Amino acid sequence: MIRLATRSLLSAIPVLLIVSLISFGLMRLIPGDPAAAIAGISATPGQIAQLRQDLGLDEPLLVQLVQYYKGLFQGDFGRSLVLGQGVLAATAERLPVTIGLALYALVFTLIIGIGCGIIAALRQNSWVDQAAMMFAMIGISVPNFFLGLLMIILFAVKLGWLPSGGYIPFTQSPWGWLQSTTMPAFSLALLQAGLLARITRSSMLEVLRQDYIRTARAKGLPRHSVILKHALANALIPIVTVVGIIVSLLLSGAVVTEALFSLPGMGLLLTQAVLNRDYPMVQGGLLLVTVFLVTVNIAVDLLYAVLDPRVRYE
Amino acid sequence: MKRLLLASCLAGLFMAGPLHAQRFTCPARGGDIVFGQEANVNSLDQMTSNTISTRNIAMNIFETLMTRDENNNPILELAESMTASQDGMTYTFRLRSGVTFHNGKAMTSADVAASFNRYNRIGLQRSTLDNVAGWDTPDPLTFVIRMKQAQPTFIEALSSFSVPIVVIPAELENDERQQLRTIGTGPFRLLEFVPGSHARLGRYDGYSPNTAFEQRTGFGGYRVACVDTVTFRIVTEASARVAGLETGALQAVEDVPTRSLEGLRRNAAITVLPLTNWWIQIALPNTSIAPTNNLAFRRAVQAALGMEDIMDAATDGNYRLNIGFQFPNQATYTDAGRETYNINDPVRARALLREANYRNEPIVILTNRDYPPMYNAALVMEQQLKAVGINASLRVVDWPTSVQMSQQLNSTEWHIFHSGWGTQPALGALATMQFLVSPNAAYRPRDNRDDPEVLAAWNAMNTLPDQAARNAAFATMQRLILERAYAYPFGSLTKVQAVRSNLQGFVPFRIPRFSNVWLQR
Repeated sequence: MIRLATRSLLSAIPVLLIVSLISFGLMRLIPGDPAAAIAGISATPGQIAQLRQDLGLDEPLLVQLVQYYKGLFQGDFGRSLVLGQGVLAATAERLPVTIGLALYALVFTLIIGIGCGIIAALRQNSWVDQAAMMFAMIGISVPNFFLGLLMIILFAVKLGWLPSGGYIPFTQSPWGWLQSTTMPAFSLALLQAGLLARITRSSMLEVLRQDYIRTARAKGLPRHSVILKHALANALIPIVTVVGIIVSLLLSGAVVTEALFSLPGMGLLLTQAVLNRDYPMVQGGLLLVTVFLVTVNIAVDLLYAVLDPRVRYE
Repeated sequence: MKRLLLASCLAGLFMAGPLHAQRFTCPARGGDIVFGQEANVNSLDQMTSNTISTRNIAMNIFETLMTRDENNNPILELAESMTASQDGMTYTFRLRSGVTFHNGKAMTSADVAASFNRYNRIGLQRSTLDNVAGWDTPDPLTFVIRMKQAQPTFIEALSSFSVPIVVIPAELENDERQQLRTIGTGPFRLLEFVPGSHARLGRYDGYSPNTAFEQRTGFGGYRVACVDTVTFRIVTEASARVAGLETGALQAVEDVPTRSLEGLRRNAAITVLPLTNWWIQIALPNTSIAPTNNLAFRRAVQAALGMEDIMDAATDGNYRLNIGFQFPNQATYTDAGRETYNINDPVRARALLREANYRNEPIVILTNRDYPPMYNAALVMEQQLKAVGINASLRVVDWPTSVQMSQQLNSTEWHIFHSGWGTQPALGALATMQFLVSPNAAYRPRDNRDDPEVLAAWNAMNTLPDQAARNAAFATMQRLILERAYAYPFGSLTKVQAVRSNLQGFVPFRIPRFSNVWLQR
């Protein structure tokens, strides 16, 4: 297990280096002037030129690259051109919002996706199966932006049960956090839940046809034991793989949800940073998000080993 | 020595409301207001930001020596008097006594000097001080500005709210760009700022209102904070802002989409407030390349344009036709060059195209989707140009890219650039027309060589000692710009705000002002 963990960690280093280089290069390749974005619509060309000089944007590219890596190796991710805040500090403020939202959405995804998938597999070709798969299709088809708007109209405007937007940190009020993130998390989760339900269904169907399931049933084991201990446990490998990908998708999908529900998360921060050509923020923010995603993927790899002993012996 | 004693003059002349109006007192005190703001706020450092979103919040916190009133005239704010020397080489400000910062410290001339020092070091519009030789603080309540040479327009520039020289405590002088600690002298103080989420302001109980006035006017006047807190919540999605207003989660919002107006107007709990003259919708030709370097061609474009259709599409019907570069409510407004406006005459346009010897060369209209009014205006313009035989097409990029492309010297990538001028026209003719001379000349003359007649009019606007003569110079410059088709101003856009009906005293302005605003129980 330790060897597996070490191997995964070492393989993450080139990933991080490549991401850092790509984000640096891509930001310089796209046209657009950070100074124009920062100075605002009313700025004169003279002001924009002055700002460009003040921010050091007229330095040669190579100098900027060397400074960037020098900073990185010293643990300095730079300072946002727009916010005037350290990239690490800005990320530390925003990333927990997005991670909290993504994890909450993941809970919805797992409950709805795995639940629907199992029920559909157990009632294959029945109306229950059809209904569960139709629900999954709706989840896949309805854009989360549209679903979010519908939810705002119903639950905030008509019923007044939940706030239409805004964010309350969990540390400030767990109940407030739950209220402010329930609609965003649900609208974010539905698409992934649809995908997960379909994968769970097919994975479960495959396992349910195996001889050992028939044997377990023949031995007279209770139904729930057959389903949960024998079938689901074996169907989990592809599901866990998908869950790892779903976490990445939830993080990237959070951009739209954060904008709609006015949540100060990482998605909104990075989108704004790209639109403003805030080079240090995009570079540093992407790198830190990558670190998080790489960690999730390492965790998934290790989970394989826990779920399937064959992985440990390879 | 003394020529102008502007203390009472400025206050009396330009204050809003009747001369002997009763001084404002809050009809109700307390309560919390949440304002739904459309654009994200990056920083509250008002010295280094020119964005509307920063100004919205920061101008409720910070104050300046001079600012602008409701009609955009300069007024005193932290100074009780201003005296200009006979030769125009010094301006002496007597500061109001009893003004304190949000940290409780009394404001003195040392703080004003430190604020000018910081602005001169990193202020985004520090060119305002280019002609300033220095400043002195002869006593704690006197601040003197020494000029390099007389500049009749200096007070207009100094009182600008575009990137104002806000007064901060002297100990913040060395705060770096966009890292200014938010301590001002205004009626509200900052309680909490979470970038991307909200800024919460609280009433500053130690605030000393400007008793030279009876009422709030523009950015200044007699200001009182009636409510306990104001939260500026960033709600970028228009539908979410409207939903928030309907549920009462937000008490006021900006940028209400047209599709929601009808529903909101039917709602008795909500008052819709149009803010006219928000910006001038405009397109600018690139005169450094053919065929837009040809006057007859530019006039053909001018003759083809129908402003009602363009403005209607750009603003969803929220507009006013407007000639030139100032709004009709401004003292400097002129309709000079009106014969060039809203011609919409295809026959004349085609004749001018023949005169220009136009041979169906492609015309690139540069626009962006970040600002839908610009994109929509460009779309209609493209069709109007095609209708007269111009081979026009759109090039759509994002705002930073379009700015970068439009500012390249002698660029060959575009012919007509779409923009919107908001703050500068509101500031006055001088602030607006700087966009039409080098290094800012938006019609991009080849090698930045200004049209000499335009430049002469600009110099007259800046140097003539008499205001009436400067206004005449502005009229000349506007006429020249329009006659030579160096710009195509389409009209003025109306921004729509809306408030809950129990929010009283809220009058739309360049920023959402929360002083002299109260919640009716």
